[in-house]
Amino acid sequence: MKATKLFDQGHQWIMFGRDPDKPQGIIDTNQYMVLAGNRALLMDPGGIEVFAPMLGAILHHAKVEQITDLFASHQDPDIISSLGLWDQALPHAKLHAPWIWEGFLRHFGMNNIQYAPIPDEGSRVSIGPVDLEFIPAHYLHASGNFHVYDPKAKILMSGDVGAALESTESPLFVDGFEEHIPKMKMFHQRWMPSNRAKNDWIKRVRQLDIEYMAPQHGRIFKGDDVKRFLDWFEQLDVGVAIQAEK
Amino acid sequence: MTSSKHHAEDKFVALASIAAELNSVMAVAWGVSLAAKNAKVISAQSGDKGLGFQPITEFIDEIAQQAMQGVQDINNEALHLTKIAVAEQRSVDAFRRFDSVRNKNDKARYIGSMSIAMQRVEQHMLESTQAMKKSLRNLNALLESMDECMLSARAIASVSRIVTSNAQEYRDKLALVADDLDKATVFIKEKLSDSYQHLKNVDMRSSR
Ligand SMILES: [Fe+2]
Ligand SMILES: [Fe+2]
Repeated sequence: MKATKLFDQGHQWIMFGRDPDKPQGIIDTNQYMVLAGNRALLMDPGGIEVFAPMLGAILHHAKVEQITDLFASHQDPDIISSLGLWDQALPHAKLHAPWIWEGFLRHFGMNNIQYAPIPDEGSRVSIGPVDLEFIPAHYLHASGNFHVYDPKAKILMSGDVGAALESTESPLFVDGFEEHIPKMKMFHQRWMPSNRAKNDWIKRVRQLDIEYMAPQHGRIFKGDDVKRFLDWFEQLDVGVAIQAEK
Repeated sequence: MTSSKHHAEDKFVALASIAAELNSVMAVAWGVSLAAKNAKVISAQSGDKGLGFQPITEFIDEIAQQAMQGVQDINNEALHLTKIAVAEQRSVDAFRRFDSVRNKNDKARYIGSMSIAMQRVEQHMLESTQAMKKSLRNLNALLESMDECMLSARAIASVSRIVTSNAQEYRDKLALVADDLDKATVFIKEKLSDSYQHLKNVDMRSSR
């Protein structure tokens, strides 16, 4: 699994993904870690099959006991079905996740890790000296859903929003927005259920100062491409499976 | 059941199969108990002539009750064993994945920090393996005592046939109870032998 530093000024943001040894047939995912002092937060740590390569990649940057916090943007298997394994590797860690998914996520096997429910309106967490915000992104696509914003690094970890379905060889950053649209159009039209939820999120996110928008699949949006994405997403009609039935 | 002869049977399937085999025993034992209670009423109605049957019908009922209790105990132990087996499976899986992290990343700067987690998971694995062995022994002992219970049942069935043959009036009805008991014993013994087969599969596959 490849690791790429997105930010390294006082604290670090590291992206993990593009694993050439990924088993076929499972969707490629990006995992993120904020490393601050002697603590680390793993965001959307991934599925069971990703666990070993992911932990192996982390150990080049941090010790096991440094990982004190996990975050799950929502309850999907590609996001957090590795929970039962992290539970055995990090029995003292905390899992920050939408409050509505607690009873569901425990099905992955959680005997040791502490569940820290995020309220609907969002909240904050401190990882050592770094303050991070949990930004509501409900119904994008799960009914309880959050993104993570780091005001200092100006990074928004945007879960499935901004996702593109691509191969493990694809570049890390969007390098031509127009060419990137076809790779993400169907995903957003089909996986995102609500135009109302989408517009509510866009309004909230436009107020944030974002240098990188980092989704859980596909490529990272940088600088002006963040604004281009928001404009594109705003005009996109989502929830199309219903219309297709007409 | 043919699945018991299938060597690749998963241990969880094997455990669930034991519970399933023995559930049908419950119904049969209940039937025997009912027949024995009926026979008791008949022997009571027969006055002096029926006196000889009463202890036998009581015995039959007792055996049926024991069989039902036995099934209950075996089911409880099988459930307990399933829970331990799930925990063991989880630790074994975690250990295997931790081990692959260690083997594939020996150059990673912080690979040494894995050792505490590995020791902990290994400890869990050993503990649950021990607990599984203990529970397997218990389950085996419970099946054996069911076997003994069936031996006494067969003996009682033969005795009751001798007694019934001396009392013409109630002979037919009481002979039926003895037949019931005989058939039930054969059935239950068959289920027990299937259960032993399943148990062997659990045992074989409990080692990682
Ligand atoms: Fe998802
Ligand atoms: Fe996803």
